[in-house]
Amino acid sequence: MRIPFLGTLAAGLVASTFALGVQAAEPIKIVALYNLTGGMSSLDQPSLNGAKLQAKMINDAGGLLGGRMIEVVPIDTKTDQKETATAAKRAVGMEDVTAGIGYSDTTFVLAAAPLFQDAGIPFVTSGATSPLLPEMVGDMLFLVPFGDNIQAYAMAEYVYNTMGIHDVVVWTDNGMDYTTGLSKYFQERFEKLGGNIVLNDVFLTGDRDFSAQVARLQANQDKAGAVFVAAGPDEAGIIVKQIREAGIDMPILGGDGFDTPLVGSVPGEDLANDVYFTTHAYADLESEAIKTFQQGYKEAYGTDPENAFAALGYDAVGLLADAIKRAGSTDHEKLRDALASTDGYEGVTGTISYENGSRVPLKTVAVMKVENGDFSLVTTMTPSAE
Amino acid sequence: MIPLAGSLRLPLLAALGALFVWLLESLLDPYALSVAMFVGINIILAVSLNITNGFTGLFSLGHPGFMAVGGYVTALLTMLPARKGLMLPDLPSWLAGLHWGFLPALLAGGLCAVLVAVVVGFPVLRLRGHYLAVATLGFIIIVQTLLINLVGLTRGARGLNGLSPLTGPWWVYGWVVVTIYTCWTIKHASLGRAMLAIRENEMAAHCLGVNVTRVRLLAFVLGAFFAGIAGGLWAHLVTLVTPTSFSIVMSFMLVAMVVIGGSGSITGAVIAAAALPLASEAVRPIEEGLGLYGLSQVLVALGVLLILIYRPQGLFGTSEPRFLESRPAALAHPREKPDTLTEKGGIR
Amino acid sequence: MSSYIATQIVNGIILGSMYALVAIGFSMIYGIVRLINFAHGDIVMIGAFATLAFGALLGLPFPLVVVLVVLAGAVVGLLVERLAFRPMRGAPQVTGFIASLAVSILIENLGLMTVTAQPRNFLVPDYLQHIVHLGGLTLRVVDLAIVAVSILLMALLVLFVRYTKLGIAMRATAENLDVARLMGIRINRTIALAFAIGSGLAAAGGMMWGSKYGQIDPLMGFVPGLKSFVAAVIGGVGSVPGAVLGGYLLGLGEVLFVGLLPPEYSGFRNAFVFGTLILILLVLPNGLLGRSEEERA
Repeated sequence: MRIPFLGTLAAGLVASTFALGVQAAEPIKIVALYNLTGGMSSLDQPSLNGAKLQAKMINDAGGLLGGRMIEVVPIDTKTDQKETATAAKRAVGMEDVTAGIGYSDTTFVLAAAPLFQDAGIPFVTSGATSPLLPEMVGDMLFLVPFGDNIQAYAMAEYVYNTMGIHDVVVWTDNGMDYTTGLSKYFQERFEKLGGNIVLNDVFLTGDRDFSAQVARLQANQDKAGAVFVAAGPDEAGIIVKQIREAGIDMPILGGDGFDTPLVGSVPGEDLANDVYFTTHAYADLESEAIKTFQQGYKEAYGTDPENAFAALGYDAVGLLADAIKRAGSTDHEKLRDALASTDGYEGVTGTISYENGSRVPLKTVAVMKVENGDFSLVTTMTPSAE
Repeated sequence: MIPLAGSLRLPLLAALGALFVWLLESLLDPYALSVAMFVGINIILAVSLNITNGFTGLFSLGHPGFMAVGGYVTALLTMLPARKGLMLPDLPSWLAGLHWGFLPALLAGGLCAVLVAVVVGFPVLRLRGHYLAVATLGFIIIVQTLLINLVGLTRGARGLNGLSPLTGPWWVYGWVVVTIYTCWTIKHASLGRAMLAIRENEMAAHCLGVNVTRVRLLAFVLGAFFAGIAGGLWAHLVTLVTPTSFSIVMSFMLVAMVVIGGSGSITGAVIAAAALPLASEAVRPIEEGLGLYGLSQVLVALGVLLILIYRPQGLFGTSEPRFLESRPAALAHPREKPDTLTEKGGIR
Repeated sequence: MSSYIATQIVNGIILGSMYALVAIGFSMIYGIVRLINFAHGDIVMIGAFATLAFGALLGLPFPLVVVLVVLAGAVVGLLVERLAFRPMRGAPQVTGFIASLAVSILIENLGLMTVTAQPRNFLVPDYLQHIVHLGGLTLRVVDLAIVAVSILLMALLVLFVRYTKLGIAMRATAENLDVARLMGIRINRTIALAFAIGSGLAAAGGMMWGSKYGQIDPLMGFVPGLKSFVAAVIGGVGSVPGAVLGGYLLGLGEVLFVGLLPPEYSGFRNAFVFGTLILILLVLPNGLLGRSEEERA
């Protein structure tokens, strides 16, 4: 057998896998760029699962635009920026791509989205949360989650005003864009409110041993009322465990990186107490939409959603589908305009509206509490970005 | 007389190279072209690492560290001053005002890598074998840690993004030609002989009057220069650099390329540098068809193992294919490395 | 403040125990076949997942789980040696190094494909979670168990290498493989034994790693693998006591660096580790307890 050109080979195989399903109308192709292997895969894999679930549900209900099916085309970029750059070129070069979705980290979006921007194809990031992203990329980029500033402001206000804690220790993962941003915005608002940062401690993504930081926290226990930990899902549970094991019982605060069952299960029900974190507004945990999502996820993948990124991936496809319906076509310009005028799309991660030309949704932030390993909604809030 | 650089062959090869790049540009879609450019950058890296690891027998894993230096320096120099003011407000003013063309910026990146290589290499090159490997591994991690923590210069974990996509196939393959030509010339000149002599038997080389320290440092520094250039090209192809852009995993892959090609064989390094990423892209459709992500890495790793089992000296050993070399084989091909099991170990 | 420093030192010893246990295998394998085995860290991961499989899924009693985990690690080590490393014995050192990386990539991605990348919660029996107060220090039983079991295993190993027939055969092989063969030592069996022991210890290390941090994933082996490599080199590759010493020094050094310096420096932890490593090597090019190539020859 002769080996044909790489591009044609890849395109051919992808095409042939989907040619099996008998479809009258042309599918709507959404390319999903995710790191399905390597260090980021624990965040990105659930996002892709969520995205595929949403697509399947829409397709089962008859598809879009008079029976056209959504086809999610995943590309694995291996937690490698050069793979991302190459994959984005491959994606925009595919025939009839309607839009792209992807990624849980700003860096990877910045490696991919500018190529979509140049090709004039809308790109919706399911999980990257830097509020500066649309500015850096252009008018084709949209965020599903709120910006980090919003959730950090929410936590700062909740701690200062509601919990009445005015002195905190801050831990920051300096190895990630998300965590450094989160930490910066939190401190900015907390100090503006009049709060005092007792201590700034630092670690790096992938660290497993926090004993030194824990001991230092212990030494400052009397001076601080709580500790704010800017960490991703892979570190969050371990950190809670180690802080509690040392016998420190001050409240632990976090962002949506804490929205993983690991925060409850790794420390165990005896230790997973008094943890507060902000996450995407499950306005009502009992709502139909959320139940449908959670049951669907469990049925399709045999597990509960692993972290917040699953729901965000689900909403990324939902948001696109909503815009395609309103645009009445898959034309890129029309789709972009429809996306930009999204007003009140009800996702499972909250209601998405892009207001005043912003492409970062102003969503309500949920404050969650972990007690005995169980998560519960404390309150929802919408802090101002100012 | 250096065969490849013979008076007629050089222009001929240059013309062939130009034709090749032109064909790449006109025939490939952007995706395939992107793969081809990363293959080119791999070739620069593998061939230059071959000077250090292949010719001289130093066990360096430090290439990504030098790429990072080259990448960041080039990016800082090509960035528009206005953008720098926005992204890096704490930059020293002399640096903030600079705006260089791509070629001088690349060269500056390469030279900074050279500078770092001299500073690092001077003490570290006294170490032998795996001890040097660990030290250079440490070098990558130290570079990464500094890039993360020196926020004023590097923006920390956020990295420098939105770089102009300056790197094109002509740039990449131009540098490929320069790299291969330099390495080929060195290999067939007295410097290359000295390097190979050090690799085979350092003591004997020393006795024959080879300045071992100088040659080792030179090999390290030359490798670093091209790694710095490759870092600059990489940065302006991906359009961003972050502290994790150039990882330990990357350094492993590069050393793997040199070993698979045959330590010391330029042809081997070129072929391996092209084959690894192409193989990984070629098995991608299988992976995507099955939805089994990770399969392509597994298949490539298995392939590497099989090659190593059946050709432990790599595809080409130290030699080059006959048609590229017009000298008697016995002279051009130093003896293969002796069986390492005769070396002594010990557990106490 | 003194209890603060004491806490940090104890933390360092606990971390060091785990590094040491993994570093021993690294050093042993290197001593015998001169192979830098980067897949060693992935045996740590396999040990952790084996604990989960035998303990949480099959519900076997904990002591039995420990035995099975060590055996599982040994079996994987033997398989890797037989399938990947034995066929290329005699190839240059760097070939073996690359082969071990390929094995590592293989194991990690097979892990990703089978158990997914999601970190898992690692359950240990309740009695390991009990809190112990030791003169102002708050510790868990699991911390004490880690230190005690590590020291026990390491002591047993040193006795084994020194005084048993197999151990002596192993040392002879490491000293000079060809002569050992002439003396009637079955080389393949001895090398296989070194892999089995080293990998078994690494699997035990994985079990401890999981128990201590409570969370495991298919890529978790990279960090302990890298750090134990560093520990082995600090101690002098090929020396078992050296690996132990290197492991404890590294663990203590890391924790004390973060713990005693102002927090602004915490981010430089890894730079410190590797910076120190380079410095040690410059002063003692063969590590703390290693012998130079010339001495060996």
